[in-house]
Amino acid sequence: MSAPVIDISGLHKTYVSGLRRRRVEALRGVDLIVPPGEVLGILGPNGAGKTTLLKAVLGIVRPTRGQARLFGQPAGDPSARRRLGYLPENHRFPTYLTARQTLDIYGRLADVSASDRHERIPALLEQVGLASWEDARIGTFSKGMMQRLGLAQALVNAPDLVVLDEPTDGVDPVGRRDIRDRLRSLKRAGTTVVINSHLLSEIELVCDRVLIMNKGRIIRSGTVDDVARQGTGWRVEVDILPEGVDTGSLPVRVEESGRALVVDDGQPTTLNALIDHLRASNVQILSVERHRPSLEAGFIDVITNGEAAS
Amino acid sequence: MRPFSGMTTLSGSLLLTFRELWAMRLTQAMLAVATLAWVLLSFAMNMDVVEGSLTALRIFGFETKPMEGAYDEATGEFVQQAVSLDSFVIGINTFVFGAAYFLGTLLGLFATMPLINGFLEQGRVDLLLSKPLSRARLLLGHLSGVWATVLVLAAYLVGGVWLTMSFKTGVWIPQFLMAIPIITLMFAVMYAVILTVSILSRSSGLGLVIAYGLIFFSIILASHEQLVPVLSARSAAIFMLFYHLLPNMAEVVVVQMQLVEAAAVITWYPLVSSLLFGIATYGFGFFWFSRRDF
Repeated sequence: MSAPVIDISGLHKTYVSGLRRRRVEALRGVDLIVPPGEVLGILGPNGAGKTTLLKAVLGIVRPTRGQARLFGQPAGDPSARRRLGYLPENHRFPTYLTARQTLDIYGRLADVSASDRHERIPALLEQVGLASWEDARIGTFSKGMMQRLGLAQALVNAPDLVVLDEPTDGVDPVGRRDIRDRLRSLKRAGTTVVINSHLLSEIELVCDRVLIMNKGRIIRSGTVDDVARQGTGWRVEVDILPEGVDTGSLPVRVEESGRALVVDDGQPTTLNALIDHLRASNVQILSVERHRPSLEAGFIDVITNGEAAS
Repeated sequence: MRPFSGMTTLSGSLLLTFRELWAMRLTQAMLAVATLAWVLLSFAMNMDVVEGSLTALRIFGFETKPMEGAYDEATGEFVQQAVSLDSFVIGINTFVFGAAYFLGTLLGLFATMPLINGFLEQGRVDLLLSKPLSRARLLLGHLSGVWATVLVLAAYLVGGVWLTMSFKTGVWIPQFLMAIPIITLMFAVMYAVILTVSILSRSSGLGLVIAYGLIFFSIILASHEQLVPVLSARSAAIFMLFYHLLPNMAEVVVVQMQLVEAAAVITWYPLVSSLLFGIATYGFGFFWFSRRDF
């Protein structure tokens, strides 16, 4: 098995600020392994520790305890970052630069040779849809264009690992689709991608694995289906649900419309018991369908119920 | 790893700083002022020299007769006499040095404050830190860009004025060129203050206030020979402690003056102690920059 691209064990980060030495525990014992080629999505509410986790991996913040390794080398070792592309949240490029100058300077900083820069920069600008803007000052760019440029910047060194913090923030639907397509092509090329995003639909569409963080801990990790399965069940649509029909002790809830019942526990026995009960009450069943909640529903469920890490 | 790969990252850091300075119009403004000084001295100023003394000076056609007081040993009286050409050249160059040294440093520090702000800005610095270069190298790249720019500007102004005056008068005093490294080094010392305070406090404004405070305090420190005798022993000790610890920006002017007048420099201490202060401050800044989270 290939060595992991990211290997984190027992990572803690406590920020101490102010004269009163206020302590904020941003990470509380995070363990994570990201194998090569995986596309990993990190989800979590604001303040969950997602950005701190990414920054710890990149050596931008220093862990209080624990260990983070990048390509087998300690996070913070500059040589490990040679194979890395990073797009920070709310990135700020100097506004007086043009798109091409930006990629040239950040390409140099990423140790990309002059010949590679010469070859890659026009291609990247084309891929992110900024080819016709290459000589425009980026101070005139919209938020979405800046995100596209940020993505191109993250790819300028043809990295093996791409870390994207809110890559579609401020991007219009067409731009989001373009970024998704770019991520898919990275995935096909075997690039490891770590995405931190609030847009759960984005994560759902491109990620192999999702982890949910809350209060500095990973509280759930698995495939999109694994996470979304929380609350998976059946939806039973009925003609009319007469008053007095009691679903008894079955773990079933009635939708607000009063015309459908949802079996939340995902157990076939519950579904059958419900159908038997409804039929016995002469309730006409119109349809029974598998109820597969979105990742968003799974995410909310995990956060609300504070599920333990799996 | 490619050969010279470290140079590529360093060139990126330097280029970023140069472009930022250029975009702030700071470099162009300084170059314009320096060019104006050259042009003024080259074309707008004409001199009449008789037996090594300046008998008449015309600036933009307006004539003046520069005079200086001198002690006449024969009569024992002070008399007015034409300024010697050497004195005039020294005066012009000293004026340019003084303007570049104090005004240039004060304006330069003020103008470069946004540069540090930008460098340490969230969303910018974290992106820079994700690149394959060490924090020390990143900071060194930024500083090298600033130092190199100041060096070029100082060389352009001082060197240009020196060349113009030398060609025009035939008086060549190469020691004037020492103003170039002195201006650059002392700017670097004061820049260390802004940079380090900014790294510590995330406020370049505070850094600027402290740097300005140190410059003005150095004027008081420069009077140590007059002040210390009138202070109590305890106050004098504290005063001298500051004198030794803090940069002696004002007193460095004396070193330059002694160099220009071809006199032996009585003491290099103000320059040396200032440089030591700068080195220590940069050391602390580098240490903190390498430690802190962004």
